[in-house]
Amino acid sequence: MAWLGSTVLNLFFKPAVNIVRTRYHAEKTRVIRRYGYEEKIWSGGLLPRGGARRLPMPEYRPAFAWTERKALFGQNDYIDILGPGDLHPVKTLYTVPSWIRGVSGNEYQILLRKRKMWANTGSRETRPTKWKDMEKRISFLYRKLNRKTKTGPSPD
Amino acid sequence: MTSALISAIKRLHISVVPQIRVFSSNAVSVPSADQQNTLTVTKKDWAFKPQYTKPREVWIENIDTIEEQKLGLFELHPSVYAASPRIDIIHQNVVWQKKIRFVSWAHTKTRAEVRGGGRKPWPQKGLGRARHGSIRSPLFRGGGVAHGPRSGKTHFFMLPFHIRLNGLTTTLSAKLAQDDLHIVKDLILPTDNPDYLHDLIEKRNWGPSVLLVDDTDYAPRNITVAVDSIPHVNIMPVYGLNVFSMLKHDTLVLTQAAAEKIEEQLLKWLNADTRTQQQAYKLNQV
Amino acid sequence: MGSRQITEKSLSMLRSLPRISLQNIRDNPNSKLKNKRGRGQHGGDKHGAGNKGSGQRQNFMRLGYETGNNPFYLRIPQEHYYRGHHLRREYPPLTLHNLQKIIDKDCVDTSKPIDIASLIRSGFYNFSPDLKQFGINLTDEGADIFAAKINIEVQWASEQVIAAIEKNGGVITTAYYDPHSLLLLKNPKKFFESGQAIPRRMIPPSDLIEYYTSAKSRGYLADPEEISKERVKLAQKYGYTLPNIEKDSDYTMLSERKDPRQIFYGLEPGWVVNLKDECILKPKDQELLSYYNS
Repeated sequence: MAWLGSTVLNLFFKPAVNIVRTRYHAEKTRVIRRYGYEEKIWSGGLLPRGGARRLPMPEYRPAFAWTERKALFGQNDYIDILGPGDLHPVKTLYTVPSWIRGVSGNEYQILLRKRKMWANTGSRETRPTKWKDMEKRISFLYRKLNRKTKTGPSPD
Repeated sequence: MTSALISAIKRLHISVVPQIRVFSSNAVSVPSADQQNTLTVTKKDWAFKPQYTKPREVWIENIDTIEEQKLGLFELHPSVYAASPRIDIIHQNVVWQKKIRFVSWAHTKTRAEVRGGGRKPWPQKGLGRARHGSIRSPLFRGGGVAHGPRSGKTHFFMLPFHIRLNGLTTTLSAKLAQDDLHIVKDLILPTDNPDYLHDLIEKRNWGPSVLLVDDTDYAPRNITVAVDSIPHVNIMPVYGLNVFSMLKHDTLVLTQAAAEKIEEQLLKWLNADTRTQQQAYKLNQV
Repeated sequence: MGSRQITEKSLSMLRSLPRISLQNIRDNPNSKLKNKRGRGQHGGDKHGAGNKGSGQRQNFMRLGYETGNNPFYLRIPQEHYYRGHHLRREYPPLTLHNLQKIIDKDCVDTSKPIDIASLIRSGFYNFSPDLKQFGINLTDEGADIFAAKINIEVQWASEQVIAAIEKNGGVITTAYYDPHSLLLLKNPKKFFESGQAIPRRMIPPSDLIEYYTSAKSRGYLADPEEISKERVKLAQKYGYTLPNIEKDSDYTMLSERKDPRQIFYGLEPGWVVNLKDECILKPKDQELLSYYNS
């Protein structure tokens, strides 16, 4: 009888199950899709970019303002006034290559001068492609300046 | 009426130079009796006398001791050392000095110079693609650059002669007016130790950077050795003097001879016929 | 540069201002004109290219092309008066009026003979021998007001000019210089610095011999007696009384002439001028002497 009683009891007894939520909606994390893929485009909104992917900052290397070149910059620029009078400052521009020293002009004028001065230096034989490119550029600029632009100061 | 005239004349600062002034010929040093025997007053008789302005007087200092000693008084011509301080002229001179030697070496290749690109990349018609004739056209990645910088672009020009001349007088005047110009007797130091020069500059309250100017090509040994190891103290001959260096260095120190030489040269040009110097600069003229 | 008060005031202001350095200088505001392409409703209309046509299309026709017409430079058959222009001698003019101005400004010393070197030194006359310019053509503009007594040597002169100068008791000579001599006269300092010996002046070319040997044009190769006859003739023609040079106080100056082989007054061919030591070196070798004297 005892077993009957327990069987009946077991049949009708339903223990009160208290369902306890262990995962609330608020605690749900975003499903990570394409795990391992690194997004290349910034999707963090309009605010300035935060710390995650900071560009490398170049090391601060202040320029030394008193190297010999900088400390003595401009020396002899007034040599025609303060010197004995037989030397022009252009003659003392040793750092500028000779074919461009004291020259002002557009690209065409400078190239013509360069070609004239380099014609007998062997540059034509030693660097034939460079020479050919220069000739091509000169003929292009000749056509451009003479046939495609108005007379007057050239745009470049 | 008369008093008004007199006051007007006084206001004009017309100073009558006393006739019994103690000078004979060019730049004679006269030891004044009432001071110590070492102090000299140098009066000068210029070829071009100052007309309306008085000469500027400066102390001649020494640099053989750290303590400053005043060795005498020295007159400077107002046309050179008290000219109108035109900042714009100084600026024009500095810009000119930067540009005269500047060459832009930035360079890009045109479509003709980039390697390859000779054949037509795809047929003109029938593919539904844009028509192109070369893969080196400026539209293509890796193609040539249109209107790019071409190397060897100079910014050279010559500033008019008198603006350069005025640049020197203006800068010298501004330096003198701001107490940044000092006259020393000579450049003889007792030692070649750079610390001595450091201490001297510190003690005299000269700016950290100092430009020394002498009228000879060879300076005394001690000063050249000391200056060599201090990057911001530099030495120059008179003909090397320029506006940029005067502004770059805080203090300008001239020897007495250099100051006279500069004055003589600038006065010569201020009063000379400079028609040939004023002519427009032509390439290969020099 | 400014009045004295302004200079003094600005210098005293500078004393209390920061030190002028490379960092705090600037040009005057608006001193640089920025040439920019205009923009906006009407500023950006045509940008100087004009309306339609070759201006906009950048199709510039060659110089002289008249879109198919027989162009002007072909329509006119020939212009003979320019034939051989590149071979002709040119004499840049100097008017008597300008000469008078130079003298009045005291830019030339009238107590000495005037030649092309002294006129160039005055700064009011210039020429270039390398452009086939052979010296001064003294022209008669201002002949009426010319009032200086001078001994002048030019390269070309008309009859009126000769009359204007002789009327005032002066003397005029026309003389030929070859281009190299003219180069020396134009810049004697440059030549003396080169350390070369002064060359001889060349004789005139065949087509000029007639002009420079004629007394009418007061040529330097003409007979002096012929010249004095011509002086009287010219005075009669123009109706003035010829001043007597022989009795003039400046007779030695007025009668001074260069040798036909001489380039500079006071310097003979063959001499070397040493500017550094300020001395003149003269040749002693017999061969040199005979060469330079020929």
